[in-house]
Amino acid sequence: MDEIARFLRSYPPFDRLPDHVVHQIAGELQIEFVRAGQTILTRGGEPAQFLYIVCKGSVDLLRSGDQVVDTLGPGEAFGHPSLIRGQPPLVTVRAHTDTLLYLLPGAIFHRLRAEQPQFAAFFAASVIERLGHAIQSRQAESNPALFQTRLRDLIARPPVFISADATVGDAARLMRAERISSLIVDQSPPGIITDRDLRNRVLAEGLPDTTLVRQVMSAPATTISADALAFEGLLLMLERGIHHLPLVDHDRVIGLVTHTDILRRQSNSPLFLPRLLQRATSLADLRRYTDQVADAVNTLMAAGARVSDIGRVVAVAHDALLQRLLHDAEAELGPPPAPYAWLVLGSEGRYEQTLRTDQDNALVYDDEASPEVIHYFERLAELVVGWLVECGFPRCPGDVMATNPEWRQPLSVWQRYFRRWIEVPDEESLLRTAIFFDYRQVYGALPAEPILRTITQHAAEHRIFMARLARAALRQPAPLTFFRQVALERRGEQRDLLDLKLRGTAMVVDIARLFGLEARSNETNTIARLRAAMAAGVLSREDGDNLISAFELLSMLRLQHQQQQIANGLTPDNLVNFHQLGPRERREIKESLQAIASVQRGVALVFQTDRLA
Amino acid sequence: MLSLWSRLFQRTPPADFVRAYEAFPEPDRRLPWREVPYTVIDVETTGLDPRHDALIAIGAVNVENGRVLLKQTWYSLIRPPSDREPSVESIRVHHLTPEELRDAPPPEAVLAELLQRIAGRVLVVHVAEIDVRFINAALKPFGGRLRRPILDTARLAMTLHLNAQWLGEQSRDMPAPAVELRGLVSALGLPIYAQHNALNDAVTTAQLFIAQATLLADQGRNNLAGLIRAGGV
Repeated sequence: MDEIARFLRSYPPFDRLPDHVVHQIAGELQIEFVRAGQTILTRGGEPAQFLYIVCKGSVDLLRSGDQVVDTLGPGEAFGHPSLIRGQPPLVTVRAHTDTLLYLLPGAIFHRLRAEQPQFAAFFAASVIERLGHAIQSRQAESNPALFQTRLRDLIARPPVFISADATVGDAARLMRAERISSLIVDQSPPGIITDRDLRNRVLAEGLPDTTLVRQVMSAPATTISADALAFEGLLLMLERGIHHLPLVDHDRVIGLVTHTDILRRQSNSPLFLPRLLQRATSLADLRRYTDQVADAVNTLMAAGARVSDIGRVVAVAHDALLQRLLHDAEAELGPPPAPYAWLVLGSEGRYEQTLRTDQDNALVYDDEASPEVIHYFERLAELVVGWLVECGFPRCPGDVMATNPEWRQPLSVWQRYFRRWIEVPDEESLLRTAIFFDYRQVYGALPAEPILRTITQHAAEHRIFMARLARAALRQPAPLTFFRQVALERRGEQRDLLDLKLRGTAMVVDIARLFGLEARSNETNTIARLRAAMAAGVLSREDGDNLISAFELLSMLRLQHQQQQIANGLTPDNLVNFHQLGPRERREIKESLQAIASVQRGVALVFQTDRLA
Repeated sequence: MLSLWSRLFQRTPPADFVRAYEAFPEPDRRLPWREVPYTVIDVETTGLDPRHDALIAIGAVNVENGRVLLKQTWYSLIRPPSDREPSVESIRVHHLTPEELRDAPPPEAVLAELLQRIAGRVLVVHVAEIDVRFINAALKPFGGRLRRPILDTARLAMTLHLNAQWLGEQSRDMPAPAVELRGLVSALGLPIYAQHNALNDAVTTAQLFIAQATLLADQGRNNLAGLIRAGGV
């Protein structure tokens, strides 16, 4: 039956199975016709004997009380959780319309699960497993170098140790003899000494070669598990600005990788970025640098990186740019007359910026500032914001920038702002919360970030604020229709659109902010906030894992969509035509949105939004 | 004279495979339709007249427990007599060439297998008249003919159409349904499998049949007797 094989092949997981297997499956199917309203499986009743695949029509999945939890259409399957566990179905399945079903007998289903890993993963019993697998399978398909290589496999030779009481002269001679550029200092926890230390901390400081290693080494050294992925090593080196990374196994250093070990595996690596920034001597060079960051995003995406990891790489790169620009501005205007802090907000504050998006920043300065000082920071903000525009970061249309006097204030005013937003949670406060609570300090000697955190940490004690914030987070419900299908919009000529940000990632960002505050966490990153909330017990593990998977998936599809638009010379947006996506993507989006909707229902209860007038 | 008499009116003594087929008891007509085993068949011929044209292919699929079993399918070519090879026009329809058919098993072998496969089951055919006439003509030299009940999906479609008018579900101005298989199948929103292959047509017919039987059961005709009244030949 070629048609049935062709039908199956246009839906996951059959689209990934070998042709002859799909033909075998088609030959084993049974066809059944059920009338609208007829029950196919009964919750708590007989375990399923078949995997059911909808051919034509649609079926409803119902929980207790006839609550529809999902509606499945052509190509979608049901019955597998019951079939896998051999237990009564957890949901009743009822035909929504007259429906034609393909039935795959249980014995064949179990054999396929044993023989075809793709098939087994797709029909995993739970949504968490399935969404988790969706992300993994994408990584597995891509360039494996960074994401499948364990750092352990990059070790070229055993580490060379030196005593902390040896002299730097001994160290230099040992490095020469071994032809290496760093030594592990033998102590617990281990230290490290590199050729750069010998140059910068010994020679440049005019110290003699009898100086002891312990005086100039870095200790404890930044280390990483030998079983970590090459990509994790890359990120750590990038974040810490180091080039040598000792690998530990059971608290012992068993080897060392350098950034060139990883670079050798990846030509267009973000590890080149810091060097590029150092060498930049003009605004044009800096603009080229940000272009390179965008290219690195492409490379990482193609290599199968998680969007959350890409966000961290971009944050490191853009933070470095900001630090450079502020440094240059200080060089131009003279040293700052008072301590200050430069904050980044919104997606940048959450480490979730993947493209060059609008600027969101603010400036905090010391309370003791005089009028001349205030004038200095005005000019500083003008300079840096202007340069950022030239580097490809447009001005914020909402004017949330350090150039706006409202967002360039002394610390005490900022403290008042934050307290007011929490204590008087009106519409404007909630709007501000969504931007300003996701802040990070990128530059400056004033410890603004920790001081302001003491205020946001106590937000959870203000139950009205939390309830209002919860209600605001629910204002955009997950876009599902009454029949649990993805609800699509129409904009002018275009139909079947889904906004992957507004009706996708942003919903998770809002929920994560809420739960992060509830857990009294200082994290600003969405996934970190969800993890903190799970650890604090304010969010269930299942809900948290579901939200993380949903967020990763929606972010990835959004970034893919935007990269494609950029490649086609279009301005990137968040609107995808749902029906132009593949069946795999459609299903993943649907399951992601259903996971979000399920958490949203719980949010209303936990934060008692109903008690608000 | 006698030999002519016997040729015209007397049955040839039945072959062994015909006797085995006839020995099977007929399915109980009081059984709910889902408990009855069916075989849905479709044939390819070189033309429309059993006296001049030959049966050249047959496809069959079983229906049990109200479900079409794709694992229980059968398809066979049949070697036509040398004077009844397919014409150029008919090749265009069924894509079976004289060369392919010359290597096919002879009618006796195919008919024996057919009767073995359908023994004790209810036969389902779309526009049964033509297919049944061709098979009976082929069985005649072996002293056999197809046993009733035989269900015709075209007749079932007509009954459903009349019932829908009677129940007021359909306007009386609605024309009667086409008897053409694909028209009926797509009107019910069911998929169509590749045309003009006896097996694909049999599967398409089988799908139509289970949908029709389900609809009729909803209207109170839940057993085999009800199906026979609605669409028996």
